[in-house]
Amino acid sequence: MNTPSSLTDLREAAGRLDPDRVGSALASGLDLWRAADSPWLARLARAHPVYSAAVLERGVRMGVQAWSAQALRQLATDAARRGGPAPGLTAVWLAGSIPTASFHALLLPLLAGSAVYGRPSSHDPASARLFTASLRAVDPGVADALEVGRDDTLLDQADALVAYGSNETIESLRGRAPAGCLFVGYGHKLSAAAVGPAADLESAATAVALDAALFDGRGCLSPAYVFVAQDPQGRADRFAEHLADALGALTETLPRGALSATEQVALRERWAREALREGARVLSPVPRTDWAVLLAPAGTWPEPGLLRFVPVLPVRDLDELGTCCAQLHPHLSSLAHVGWEAGADELEKIVRRGGGARCCAPGRLQAPPLDWRQDEREPLPLLLRKPRTTA
Amino acid sequence: MSRDELDQAVQIWIREGAEGPLDEPRFEALALALFAYQHEHNAPYRRLCETVGIDDPRRVECWQDIPAVPTGAFKEARLACFPPDRRLRVFRTSGSTTERRGELHLDTLDLYEASLRSTFGQYVLGGPSRMRILVLAPPAEEAPDSSLSHMFHIACRDLGTAASRFYVRGHGWDPDALIGDLAEVDESVALVGTAFAFVHLLDELEARGLRLTLPVGSRAMETGGFKGRSRELSREELHGGIAKALGLPRHAIVNQYGMCELASQFYEPSLLLGHVTTVKRVPPWVRTRVVDAATLQDRPRGEPGVLVHYDLANTGSVLAVQTSDLGRRRDDGFEILGRLPGAEQRGCSIAADALLALR
Repeated sequence: MNTPSSLTDLREAAGRLDPDRVGSALASGLDLWRAADSPWLARLARAHPVYSAAVLERGVRMGVQAWSAQALRQLATDAARRGGPAPGLTAVWLAGSIPTASFHALLLPLLAGSAVYGRPSSHDPASARLFTASLRAVDPGVADALEVGRDDTLLDQADALVAYGSNETIESLRGRAPAGCLFVGYGHKLSAAAVGPAADLESAATAVALDAALFDGRGCLSPAYVFVAQDPQGRADRFAEHLADALGALTETLPRGALSATEQVALRERWAREALREGARVLSPVPRTDWAVLLAPAGTWPEPGLLRFVPVLPVRDLDELGTCCAQLHPHLSSLAHVGWEAGADELEKIVRRGGGARCCAPGRLQAPPLDWRQDEREPLPLLLRKPRTTA
Repeated sequence: MSRDELDQAVQIWIREGAEGPLDEPRFEALALALFAYQHEHNAPYRRLCETVGIDDPRRVECWQDIPAVPTGAFKEARLACFPPDRRLRVFRTSGSTTERRGELHLDTLDLYEASLRSTFGQYVLGGPSRMRILVLAPPAEEAPDSSLSHMFHIACRDLGTAASRFYVRGHGWDPDALIGDLAEVDESVALVGTAFAFVHLLDELEARGLRLTLPVGSRAMETGGFKGRSRELSREELHGGIAKALGLPRHAIVNQYGMCELASQFYEPSLLLGHVTTVKRVPPWVRTRVVDAATLQDRPRGEPGVLVHYDLANTGSVLAVQTSDLGRRRDDGFEILGRLPGAEQRGCSIAADALLALR
């Protein structure tokens, strides 16, 4: 339970920091996670309730790889130039179970100069706590400006509230935020991959499989759909087979975390529903549910993928890809693409039609840059000082 | 075997009674023959089998290897071995009018009714004599897609006396009529209905300050859970409340477990045994496995797992059905441990229902 005095301590600790020191501490803290044989990754693997150790190690390493000292400095400099004064205390309501998403959510307001109170998700109590501890290991003074706990009364005392979660959660928290509190909400999203006519199917499938296997397809950066140019006919089938092979291989090197019985039954039910559908093809290692590839009949919209159940949707051309992405509006977050004979501008336009802002290569979905425009927002919206920003 | 031959073979077995021998070789032979028939005539099911590598049903050598269809899949496809124009009846899972409901398509009700007569007669009525049945559920004509209402309709028609009656009509139940009849009965009766309807009856009796004593030999059967339509009671609370309010011994209160997707139901044989049991009896023409959700391997006796039923009376659809119910094997049957909770969202990817709702 945080007393007003400890909140004051948090604010005062943030007030004593300059952006360079925060940036350096964050960079050094992240180095601990990037290090070979990182003990922090080992601790996370022991404490995290959702993912296998191999997935955590690969996913976290990849996620923080580009968050270098230079990238942190650049972001802080840009923010200082363009933004106003930071909120004294920012409460961050975390969601989901992706460690790097928690890291990103906590470090941004710190970088903006705010004290931070992070409230971890019930599905991942470990990541935020360990991130704070790693920061303390490199600079206790910076870590004094960051606290992690589950004290919901903090919502009433924060100057800004950054909330992640379902739309229902965002709306509920928006309603609870006190008058004058800056509110920024990030709702649940999904991502997709698009394999164009010029792509090498096998290497594209290997990369998409990695995107799907990291964090077990649970994250908003996991490919919920893979669109494959179906020209010549049968190309999507061949891609699906390569993807099945790649997912099968990753079962050994990046095993999926344990599922609850409910998740197992839901996954099996999903598998059966798709297998019963006329024209659909499901590739999976039955009777196990470690992964599955659904080749959906052309023109159909299956449910989004989850837990390494990956739907592959054939598309005629770039126009149809654009139509499909538009149908995902406003839920699309990122699009991994390869092999489209189109300029980057054109693909970015397609992503924006779905509500997203990020394009990358397959295999890089889980590694957004530090300054990526999540939900098409500036990376440090706290500094824009627009009260009651909409989700 | 042809469908007629299969139906006839199962019908004969059902007529031998719910307490007959399990006869494993007989079950195996019929199950494999029925699976071969369903593989050939049920196109969606054949697709599912082919997906798991069974393109030839002869590759399945024991009934445990027959692919089971999860109950949720009954919402997706018409799982029937006959053309739509031969459809006689559709039973649907309970649910709101907006959500998609599971469907069991039937071209005959013969096996369904034979199975229910056998088990209801055995475990609720306890013998061949007709009994007055008071039903806390709507009649079949008002709920034509409810398998439960059809079951009670057949029970009243074939096993009940002429005084049997339904007490739920239109948009509600008739507490005055039911409580009046219960207070006046002078011979043993069977009061049957949904669990939530029993809760409403208990609340009504309490509100009226009434406690009844039904004639010796009376019994109650509840089924179907609460479905958010009444306050929820534990089994102990519900059965205790019924016993107290109606003056019934605890072993005269029976829980039935069934589902729209199955032709056969499961009962606790408490009346038969003369003492309370929570173990459901499995009729000889049915098998129930308790499996690990991840591997589909049998769980050790007493260990919890997911229930998978193999019902030979499901000749027109699929005989193997995987549920979302948790249970464990006990004695010669199984015990229900509850229903799996709704799948929780442990990631930040948008939930399927949220996305599809917006499309």
